[in-house]
Amino acid sequence: MTKKKKETQMVGQVTEPIVLEATMSVNDLKARLEELKNRDGVIGYILRNTTSASIDLKDPAKIIDFAVLSSSAIDASKELSNLFDLGNVNSTVVEGRNVKMLSLTIDENRISIFMEKNVDCEALRNTLCAKGPN
Amino acid sequence: MDNELYSFALKSTLDEIRNLCPDIRNAFMFREDGEITAADENTPRKTIVKIVDSFDGLMEKAETMGGIDLITVEGSKGGVNVSRMNNHYLVMVTSQNADKNYLNTITHTLVKTVLKLLEKINPAPLNNNPSEPRNEHEILTVKKDEKPTERAEKLAEDSEQPIKPETVRPEPTANQFMVENIGGLLVAADTVRIDNETLLQWQELYEDRKIEEVEIETFEGKSTRCKIKPVKDSKQEGKGVVQIPQKIQRTLEIRKGELVKVKPVVD
Repeated sequence: MTKKKKETQMVGQVTEPIVLEATMSVNDLKARLEELKNRDGVIGYILRNTTSASIDLKDPAKIIDFAVLSSSAIDASKELSNLFDLGNVNSTVVEGRNVKMLSLTIDENRISIFMEKNVDCEALRNTLCAKGPN
Repeated sequence: MDNELYSFALKSTLDEIRNLCPDIRNAFMFREDGEITAADENTPRKTIVKIVDSFDGLMEKAETMGGIDLITVEGSKGGVNVSRMNNHYLVMVTSQNADKNYLNTITHTLVKTVLKLLEKINPAPLNNNPSEPRNEHEILTVKKDEKPTERAEKLAEDSEQPIKPETVRPEPTANQFMVENIGGLLVAADTVRIDNETLLQWQELYEDRKIEEVEIETFEGKSTRCKIKPVKDSKQEGKGVVQIPQKIQRTLEIRKGELVKVKPVVD
């Protein structure tokens, strides 16, 4: 059984290693984001990479506004990082009057999670970035 | 108390905070309207302008979440914390291992207290109001050919007359605008364009004067006078931009996207 699994992995790596790894990573992220979305106070998320984008918000009317905000926040944090030599940006949190947004980049995936202000975004980040299966 | 003193008070506060917390690499403050109110010596003005400009776009987009109260950026070599305090934003760049809770406690306590104090002393500069109107009697100057006795007589005459409201006029104050290009065959090289709203505000302030010229000053200290006209493109209205021809941009060594101070010339 173990041998068979090993073989399958090897075949995968030989044929299309990058695609397989990326797909797994995105799927894993999506699963984690879905889990997070069901938590109290979480409004939704945006997941983007070079090939696809997933947006899941409880209020669909705000999709465009939040997508633009997410993109602007990531761009602004990159500019800050360049100007002040902050290195790779691990995460950006933007707090508004009622809503809070956590943005982070994992590999090629740009993720923004929107939540109510009282939600502990550190806990969400830890769940999202935790190693191993969800 | 004028803007300079406010800036001095805030700058001193930032310096003290930096002395207390060496983990703070840069610190500066700007108002919601983008005007820089205080900055440490470590941070070049141009860098601050770029950041304010970058935040301006972000703040606009963040209206959907009720404006911005706090931004935290965590990088592998350090972090940035932008927090709203009254109508100011305090930006702090910290090193990687900074104790953020300690920094937040110190800065929030000190800066908020200083802002409250300044606001109590005189709210005008913090609220970005034009400087207090000054009575023309106070700023009466002696002309070269005027004898001291003539001046005394004039003052005496003036003091007998009741002060009319028309004589009270605010000093011209500088507004900050973002530079936009203006091009075309029929563009006058000596004329800049500003939105109608600002021109109307100036017109209201200086009722009896026609504002035909403005003084543009860069943050590097370069300035020039040029003619002023309203923007033609309605999309540029209310965006806080000043359209400047390339020739003037070259003279001032500025370019699109940078911030400049624009002041009406009231002769």
